[in-house]
Amino acid sequence: MRQPTAGEALAAVLSAEYAAIYAYGRIGVRLTGAARESAHQAEAAHRRRRDALVVQLSTTGGTVPPGRAGYALPFPVTDRASALRLAVEVEERTAAHWRAALASTTGPDRDQALAALVEYAVRATRWRKTAGVTPPTVAFPGRPT
Amino acid sequence: MVFTCPVGIGRTTPRDQVSGHTRRKLLHAGALLALGGAATSLTGCDLFDRDDEPAPPPDPLRPMVDEALGLAAAYRATAAANPELTDRLGPIAETHTAHATELARVVGVTLPSAPAADPSATAATEPAGALAALRAREKTAQQSATAACAAAPAERAALLGSIAAARATHQEALK
Repeated sequence: MRQPTAGEALAAVLSAEYAAIYAYGRIGVRLTGAARESAHQAEAAHRRRRDALVVQLSTTGGTVPPGRAGYALPFPVTDRASALRLAVEVEERTAAHWRAALASTTGPDRDQALAALVEYAVRATRWRKTAGVTPPTVAFPGRPT
Repeated sequence: MVFTCPVGIGRTTPRDQVSGHTRRKLLHAGALLALGGAATSLTGCDLFDRDDEPAPPPDPLRPMVDEALGLAAAYRATAAANPELTDRLGPIAETHTAHATELARVVGVTLPSAPAADPSATAATEPAGALAALRAREKTAQQSATAACAAAPAERAALLGSIAAARATHQEALK
């Protein structure tokens, strides 16, 4: 299989970040207190990465994929438990896209991809702890299972 | 009798100014000098350098196999000293073993069949100190995986990225 170019890999990451931002809109309303605040912070982090990617892809002549109005969620979010489960899923999926970008990038772009992978993997672990999932870690964060 | 080198063949730098003389070659040179009765210098001569094939450089990931095994051993030692932590530490020890297995596969070495004992494991006997010690080790190990990922060829970058991320999540899990 051909290795995607850095632009292709980052465009795929951007699409995942759009979906993550949408999902956190559905997650936040099912949470309260500290968990809701954590969801807001997570959403803000995904927005920052989205914005940075749009700028990066635009200035390097890459294709900027458009965001969509809505995304199909993997399961209905109806309560706190399903909201936390989706939050874990969102972090793992976006981490997987950044992980895939590692192979297509070098230098500062790879550093940026790794920083995102690490941050999202840690946040997935925090969400698992909040949800009481044990163990709260996976062996290979972001690796497709 | 003077040993001279063929002009225009091989290097132009005097041999003794570059690294690479082995003790054995120097001894060779000395022995031949003695046999020939020549007292002059061999400086600049390539005659005895024909076996100077450098060994292939060691795989930069080889030390990470040992590092991952050492981490797994540290977790096992800590869990043995603090049985109440076994449920938390066991899965992380397994993760480090899984990392060692993957790294060994990539490097092309076989893992030792007996689990490594951790020489630096003086396993703290009170849980808080033991967890803090493991967190510190994970932080250092995360840095080494981060550096390895930055320097890795494309086909290794994703594995090393996952290992760096896993070590970060372990610090979170130990809090």
